[in-house]
Amino acid sequence: MSVTDVLATGAEFAPVLIVLGSALLAFLLDVVGVRRLEAVGGVVVAGTGVAFLLVLADLGLGFLGPLRTIPAATVNAVPAAGASPLYAFTSFGLVFQALFLVAAFLVGLASLSRDSHEAGAPIFYGLLGLATVGMLLVAVASDLIFLLLAVEVTSLATYLLVGYTRRGARPLEAAMKFYIIGAASSTLSFFGASLLYGAYGTTNLYRIAAVAGGVGYPVLALLGYGFLIAGLAFKTTLVPFHAWAVDVYDGAPTDVSAFLAGGSKKVGVFAFFLVFLGPVLYVHPGAPGNPFSGGPIALGPIVQLTLAVLAVLTMTVGNVLALLQREMKRLLAYSSISQAGYILLGIAIGTSPALAGATFQALAHVLSKGAAFLVVAGVAGLGVGPLVDDWRGLGSRRPLTCAAFSLLLLSLAGVPLTIGFVSKFVLFSAAVEAQGYFVWLAVAGLLNSALSVFYYARILRAMYFEAPAGGDAGAPPLTSRLAAGGLGYGRAAAIAVATLAVVALGIYPQPVLGPIQAAATHFLGLGA
Amino acid sequence: MTGLPEAGFVGLSAALVAVGLFGILTRRNFVLLLIAIEIAMNAAILNFVYFAAFAPTPGEGLAGQAAAVVLVGFAATEVAVGLAIVLALNRAKGTINVAEATELRL
Repeated sequence: MSVTDVLATGAEFAPVLIVLGSALLAFLLDVVGVRRLEAVGGVVVAGTGVAFLLVLADLGLGFLGPLRTIPAATVNAVPAAGASPLYAFTSFGLVFQALFLVAAFLVGLASLSRDSHEAGAPIFYGLLGLATVGMLLVAVASDLIFLLLAVEVTSLATYLLVGYTRRGARPLEAAMKFYIIGAASSTLSFFGASLLYGAYGTTNLYRIAAVAGGVGYPVLALLGYGFLIAGLAFKTTLVPFHAWAVDVYDGAPTDVSAFLAGGSKKVGVFAFFLVFLGPVLYVHPGAPGNPFSGGPIALGPIVQLTLAVLAVLTMTVGNVLALLQREMKRLLAYSSISQAGYILLGIAIGTSPALAGATFQALAHVLSKGAAFLVVAGVAGLGVGPLVDDWRGLGSRRPLTCAAFSLLLLSLAGVPLTIGFVSKFVLFSAAVEAQGYFVWLAVAGLLNSALSVFYYARILRAMYFEAPAGGDAGAPPLTSRLAAGGLGYGRAAAIAVATLAVVALGIYPQPVLGPIQAAATHFLGLGA
Repeated sequence: MTGLPEAGFVGLSAALVAVGLFGILTRRNFVLLLIAIEIAMNAAILNFVYFAAFAPTPGEGLAGQAAAVVLVGFAATEVAVGLAIVLALNRAKGTINVAEATELRL
């Protein structure tokens, strides 16, 4: 490997290296004594912002053309037969890189509004950057081990993010629960990967697709996929592997919850896409290169049915438990679980419109749920309590904040003119198109959306139609030294950007939905 | 490599993962939990080493052995993070018993 090869690889990974560099710089600034939140945070926020532009350029966005780091011919190139590369650039992976960077950028920007002298600011931003590096690597993986290790880079950083303040038992307890569940689930994933290696003789996803026609050990493969689904289901908070998520989102600092729900959860989602769609296309039995066509056990339908059952369970259980919640953060956590169910629906259906719908749903979730957690963090900073009832009457006292929060909640519920409606529309129409029992999945999804309106409406009613417990005069004062309605400029900007995007993409989704559909169609073509 | 007892090796790693999962579900002491997680992780590592002997090409065999070495390193990293968390928790609460972590309830 010559110097030019190294440089070319470096250029391909420029977005990853920039984020990594900014994260390491944050730790370095801590060592040399620069610990002001604005300085350290600025570095990482700028890093994720630049990386985001580079990824958009690589996706082929016209006016960013000169910034391109990956040659156009390299993107979407299927590896030559016999080659087993660790990574490959697909436009679908780049879409997810952009999505991850949006989540990291919004959370980083909002966190700039915290106390300038807060202890641990460099650690927070450094870990945020490292977690983002892992997410970016997940999106280019084409090898099971590379994929799972990249997932773990994100996981290790997020375990520490949850408990980084080291003050108080609550965040540390959340970190401990997160760590135990996360470590156990990664063990399951790696064990599953090792069984798949035994069944197929390779860990490369393209090689798996090529060699697997004559698998000698279909039972081994079935067990391997079982363990892998369980491991990834923990990361994606699918029922019955969801119980940790609520405690962790509740106990973590709320900005971190925003990152966990909006950003790092999508890592598991993308891993699902990569393992079950894309290179290894499981839904078209008999297609060339299909690993499931050989052997006495037809794995495709089994895996597909498992995913469909998990999806419906996740939606329903998440929504029902959210209905019973009185605390704002826990309610949002349960609604986040149910949203994971909608996304999984797209994987279970496995057609290209469904995949595009699931991806758009993931984007809707990043913007709506991430920003909703950022609002909750900001409002908690004003002295408002953790219960939904504590938000009574806030609509007239903080009209702009509450208007933004209402739009975000409406998007989560799937009300028209928001991005949440468009994503669900695309997803459910794909389910109906796919025929068979998928029609019933669409029905389950619609019923669940209707159910979810109840608890979102309860929050809206508390904000706009109910008076605080002691009447308007008895309400505790809202105190904050920060500008922009007490939220601070950074947080206000992050919330405003996300809310505008939610509405704009709800009215005119095509500029973003179009490229996602093209990328999804191509991604499914990889296995054919 | 036909002399290796296939069922025996797969059975050994299955037993290891079972022991590990049993420990994860029943232990209440954080350090014992870490050990249980390590035992289950070793099952995966053992599998990679073992299946490497049956790989179709020498290259794929090396990939399996490389995966095993990388996983040994990853397991150590994971434990380091776990110990960091448990040290901080011990300082805050004075216990490393998982069952006493009751601040957050379902």
